[in-house]
Amino acid sequence: MKYWRETLAVAQRILIELFRRRRSLIFWSVFPIALLLLNGFIFAERAQQSMAFAFENATPTTLAFENAAPTTLVGAALFFSCLGGTVTTVVAEREQQTLKRLFISPLSGTSYFLGIFVAHCCIGVGQSFLVYAIASFWKAKFQGSLLLGAIIILLSIISYVGVGFVLGTQLARRADDINALVATFGVPLLILGGAFIPSFIFPQFLLNLATFDPIYHMTEALLGVSANGNGLTEISFHFWFLFGFAILMIGAGWLSYRRMLRVERRL
Amino acid sequence: MLLIENINKSYGKRQVLQNLNLQINFGEIYGLLGPNGAGKTTTINIICNLLKADSGNIKINNQPVSEKTKSIIGVAPQENLLYQGLSCKENLDFFAQIYGLRRKVRQLQVDNCLAAVNLLDRANSTVETLSGGMKRRLNIAVALVHQPKLVILDEPTTGLDIEARYEIWELIRKLRHQGITILLTTHLLDEAERLCQKIGILKNGQIVAEGTLPELQKLIPAKEIVTVQTAEEEKAIARAIELGFIHRHYGNELAFWLPESLELKEIIAAFDGISLASISRQPIKLEHIYLEVTKQGTGD
Repeated sequence: MKYWRETLAVAQRILIELFRRRRSLIFWSVFPIALLLLNGFIFAERAQQSMAFAFENATPTTLAFENAAPTTLVGAALFFSCLGGTVTTVVAEREQQTLKRLFISPLSGTSYFLGIFVAHCCIGVGQSFLVYAIASFWKAKFQGSLLLGAIIILLSIISYVGVGFVLGTQLARRADDINALVATFGVPLLILGGAFIPSFIFPQFLLNLATFDPIYHMTEALLGVSANGNGLTEISFHFWFLFGFAILMIGAGWLSYRRMLRVERRL
Repeated sequence: MLLIENINKSYGKRQVLQNLNLQINFGEIYGLLGPNGAGKTTTINIICNLLKADSGNIKINNQPVSEKTKSIIGVAPQENLLYQGLSCKENLDFFAQIYGLRRKVRQLQVDNCLAAVNLLDRANSTVETLSGGMKRRLNIAVALVHQPKLVILDEPTTGLDIEARYEIWELIRKLRHQGITILLTTHLLDEAERLCQKIGILKNGQIVAEGTLPELQKLIPAKEIVTVQTAEEEKAIARAIELGFIHRHYGNELAFWLPESLELKEIIAAFDGISLASISRQPIKLEHIYLEVTKQGTGD
């Protein structure tokens, strides 16, 4: 009960602040829409040449948006909102020094982590609906199991929040550090993960390298379920890699928070 | 209410607290004074269970300090640690939730706290739109929202204008009347004089003087203090020694401790032949005691 109450309080607080800063909310919506449209139309151009003949009932644009939606969502939208958002939340707490106030209070580290996770889950779910709603204008459909798709999205959010926690507590001391961190670690991983350029055009050595990139497994797993109607068996390698990574990130996030407590827990 | 017995704390080789003993009774305002680096913040960190003491005992309301005692302490730190994007009400509601208050109690407590710090009319304003004094009052309200038994106010009026300072003082008096025990740290000695029933002066991690103001005044063997401005300081000091007055320099001021109260004309007569630009008499204040026990005043 204590954890539940504290988790809700932290999540509610983050969401209130987000909704109050309407500009941020609009940007979180514009970003995935813009990316989806760009990816969708680029894919559509390629699909006209290579894919359309294989699918009798689908237009090239529909196919393109069915392929663009999952990569845009887990590869890019959730990355910036959940990972970037988590780093920003932790760094803002440190800069406003409200972390100190939380240290004085009986708030547990678990609740704090879960609160940030729940808040970013809400944002992630909102972005998922948005991306698939826009994709549905081109008659794109979610081909596979909705439950499996939801689990993949959830595991992706957990992974991003976990990484965000590690970066926010250990590496980003000030708001200025966030851009540098995202540019250094994030953008190369996003490209390698197939968020902007489809992985099927990667040379073999990049594909080999991509198997170490969790974003690649997120996009491939969701792409398989969403666009190709695959089940767990077909995407098992990507799914279990993602599952393992999510668990690892929960552990790493938790350890990072404990370390931050040891180092910074004083007035 | 708060009992600290023989607390020791070191950071590496530097000992910050040395056998610190301190007791605050229920419903009392205790002023903890001391120069920067004396160990005030470390003491607060230990009371709040943010730091562990190397040795010694500390009890709050007869319970050893632990995560559990966090709920009976309210802390208003030096900085206003508030969520700038949330309103006053939302800030209070968030912390009330963290401290486990149920919805109905929470709503009532939030309104009570806003009323106590005169912020009811700004309940829905975001923190970033408040003045410095209002933010400081809200900072204190956050410390009170879960109805703590012990409130720690860490330099609550530093950086505020005199009007805002009076408002905070009034609030602190109100809290005391409600039976809340308060540990107040401050560098403003007149603040401690006005508000505290008991004062402790910390130096190098030890309490070097403690008591009520009249008790502390007894540490200075004088009835009153005379400060003078003169170009002939050495002559004035020599005369004071002849007369049995103790002298001290408080900053740029030369002061003499008078063992007996004297008329102004008697004081002037005592310094006959020495040109005095100004002369003033004052009772023994906390400032003099503080400077004496922390050895920041210089003299004999």
